[in-house]
Amino acid sequence: MRTNYSDLAAVDGRRRLNMDKVMTAVCFVLLFIIVIIPIFMIIYNAFFYEGKFDLSLFTGQMTDSKNLAAMWNTLKIALFTTVLGTIMGVFYAWLLGRSDIPMKGVMRALFNIPYMFPPFLGAMAWDILLNGRSGYLNRFLVSTLHLSGMPFNINSLGGIVFVEVSYYFPFVFMQVVSALERMDPTLEECARIAGAKQRTVIWKITLPLVKPAISAGALLILTTSLAHFGVPSILGYAQGIYTLPTRIYSVIYNTGGSFDGIRQGAALSVMLVIVVALALVLQRWVLSTGNYDIIKGKSMRPTLIKLRGAKLPLLLLAVLTLVLIVIVPLVMIVLISFIKAYGLPLKLENFTLAQYARVFNANGTLDSIKNSLFASITAGVVCMFLGTLVAYVVQKIKPRGKGILEIVSMLPYSIPGTVLSIGVILAWSGALGVTLYNTIWIILVAYMARYLSFSMKTSSAALLQVHSSLEEAARVCGASHTESLADITLPLIRPAMVSGFFLIFLPAMREVTTSILLYGPYTRTLGVQIYSLRDAGMIPQAAALATVAIGLIIALNTIVTLITKDRKGV
Amino acid sequence: MANVRFEHLTVRYSEHTVFSDFSLEVESGQILCLVGPSGCGKTTLVRALLGLNKPETGTITVGERVLFDAKRRVNVPAEKRNIGIVFQDYAVWPHMTVIENVSYPLKKQRRNKQEIRERAMKALEQVHMTEYANHLPSQLSGGQQQRVAIARALVTDSDVVVMDEPITNLDAKLREEMLLEIRMIQKRLGATILYITHDQQSALQLCDRMAIMRQDGSLCQCGTDEDIILRPADRFVFEFIGVSNFIPLCVEGGRTYLDCGEKIPFADLPAGVDARGKEMGVRLNDVVFDRQSPIEATVTSRVFLGSEYNYFLRLGQRDIRVQQSTLDARTFGMVAAGERVGIRFLNPRFYDGKGAMA
Repeated sequence: MRTNYSDLAAVDGRRRLNMDKVMTAVCFVLLFIIVIIPIFMIIYNAFFYEGKFDLSLFTGQMTDSKNLAAMWNTLKIALFTTVLGTIMGVFYAWLLGRSDIPMKGVMRALFNIPYMFPPFLGAMAWDILLNGRSGYLNRFLVSTLHLSGMPFNINSLGGIVFVEVSYYFPFVFMQVVSALERMDPTLEECARIAGAKQRTVIWKITLPLVKPAISAGALLILTTSLAHFGVPSILGYAQGIYTLPTRIYSVIYNTGGSFDGIRQGAALSVMLVIVVALALVLQRWVLSTGNYDIIKGKSMRPTLIKLRGAKLPLLLLAVLTLVLIVIVPLVMIVLISFIKAYGLPLKLENFTLAQYARVFNANGTLDSIKNSLFASITAGVVCMFLGTLVAYVVQKIKPRGKGILEIVSMLPYSIPGTVLSIGVILAWSGALGVTLYNTIWIILVAYMARYLSFSMKTSSAALLQVHSSLEEAARVCGASHTESLADITLPLIRPAMVSGFFLIFLPAMREVTTSILLYGPYTRTLGVQIYSLRDAGMIPQAAALATVAIGLIIALNTIVTLITKDRKGV
Repeated sequence: MANVRFEHLTVRYSEHTVFSDFSLEVESGQILCLVGPSGCGKTTLVRALLGLNKPETGTITVGERVLFDAKRRVNVPAEKRNIGIVFQDYAVWPHMTVIENVSYPLKKQRRNKQEIRERAMKALEQVHMTEYANHLPSQLSGGQQQRVAIARALVTDSDVVVMDEPITNLDAKLREEMLLEIRMIQKRLGATILYITHDQQSALQLCDRMAIMRQDGSLCQCGTDEDIILRPADRFVFEFIGVSNFIPLCVEGGRTYLDCGEKIPFADLPAGVDARGKEMGVRLNDVVFDRQSPIEATVTSRVFLGSEYNYFLRLGQRDIRVQQSTLDARTFGMVAAGERVGIRFLNPRFYDGKGAMA
């Protein structure tokens, strides 16, 4: 009864225009504009032509062999990435969370790096190393081992899966590590005391208990991989390997961004959304998520399993994995950024700073950094406030239709970025009287739709912690509704709002999937700029800009960590 | 000083009616304890008084001031009611220091800085928290946070202070101390206090008057604590306010029996009571040992509780509980497990039986 906040709204009801109603209305209107309109436009354009229902476009696209092949590829890549990434994530989570392997702290930090590293830069690095025709490592192996052909080819389905796994396994890793840490160790101890062997305990107790965490992480890998654009486009294009997102891009790109191309893209988008939706259903069916109370919020010291003889080999394996997925791509990109011309051997005399000079003298580069900063910061700030507003309305005001509000704000999160951009193009290229195409604003609108749920989730969680009696106490102490919001609620959720901002700002800075479809001549973002430099064959320049971007991301991340550490007090 | 009057109040949450046509008066300068089982609508009543929910019918007045009147469409907003509140979970703002918490109501009254500081310190003094003025709530224990909440409720010298189960989260010793302290503060300030609890023990310690609410939200008795304990209005009050034994009665051939699996003759039935279908309720300490009594039971166990002994007796096929104060045990002697004893019932009450349930 106490949590029934709508009471406060009812009490204020005498005034005709009250804060709660205004906030609720603002939420509905903004979400309608940002989320509903683009999604509606996709569906409308896929199924209606000149105002009439018309399935021919959709069926045409559905039966196109290229599209079917792309769909098949998307599924294969996503499936393998999910399975391998989950296995890898669980294994390393267990190794770092539950065994006595040395150097845990360092390794945990390193295992989180792939999470913030833009996957398409990783793909770029591996392309440089293992390109089927000109990869550095390939050529090195051929010349030293006198092979007749290139030993590896990263430009294949296997290559794409390999790169995606190495950047997506942290989704499972992070979820499972934290679940393992919150698990009551006595549960395992009891099993041991009851006579179970170590291996039995792992299979019968530990794994089932962290199954919800595994399943949540796997779901994240699956949906991200299905919607992913960067890696398959960098590695697949050369060999004609398409996935649905890259196919959508190329359809639009090949038609020069004409309305017809965008309509085809819209039809393909519907296909992609169907695939994602099917995957979600399948996932829920295969891994039915149970929830166990025995995983507590409190941190406890789990019993560590002694690895004994396996310690050194396992340590070596972990270190090798880290080198392979973190160090090698990073070093490669940095090295290539110094090379005079792509293809030259990596020798000191071939190194130069000229690429950096070239990149920064090119007029697009600084603009792209500025654009990215502008779009990410603005999207971050706007979403921080809008997300908090939506969270407040859903959690505290609880108007009729709050369920709709919640679903609508979370919807773009499960919609692939490519699809979202098409919706944004269709909505804001004049069809509704507003033309934002080729401006930075269209990118901003897309970012806002895409990342809104991030800030909403963090603010929601924080608001749940703010017991309604705190705000009520302020009211009774003589504060008006607005004052109680400003004095009590906002200060209490400020840390969550700030972290919500960074949750949006950081990924938006390295974004490429959405902006690749939305950029105009003067509105390239950092990600787009790197992508198009590489596309134009200027690989060393792309690498130079990528190095700058990585530096920027690492610096920003460090700042965020420092800021959030200081905020433990409240 | 002001009294609080609830008249014909009805509160409904969508389909669920919490209480209807509820009337109650808290007299000026008194502590009224509102006691009732969890979920009976105590908190809802408080929220109506504070202006945190909107009743459907009725009026709420404090002194001469009408805070709510459904007919005349009066509804003073929460921030203008000037009622002190101590919430069950304290609701001390975690991002403000103790002094900031206590100053907040004064700040909202736009007092000058000097006055705010002085009055806040005075309020803290009353709850013995001056040395913690600059602490954050996270640095305080539950009892200390409690005091901050009380200081915040008292700081504006509101005529009426509401306390909603303020001590349930404290340990037994601290609870006792806080009750004494609330009592003393009330004496000093002469405020009217509405104290909400489901624990009749603390209510007894604190109150001038007590009001008992039933599960369905209706008021079943309102009076002094002695009234409630000694003259309970009905079986609900009797049962709610203390632990008791219930023994069914039956009448056969004009004689009354205690129906305990086997029928034990019962001669002490007061005149004018029809025993048919009735149950007899007796408090634990109203069962006394008496060798002369024809009613005999077997002692199954004895537990020493410090100030009293607790016995379990077997009366026919029924278990009954008996409490004997340690003083009585010393004076009149105690009984041991296995002994056969005669018992007598003082102050028995006769209520309609609940059938097989009892």
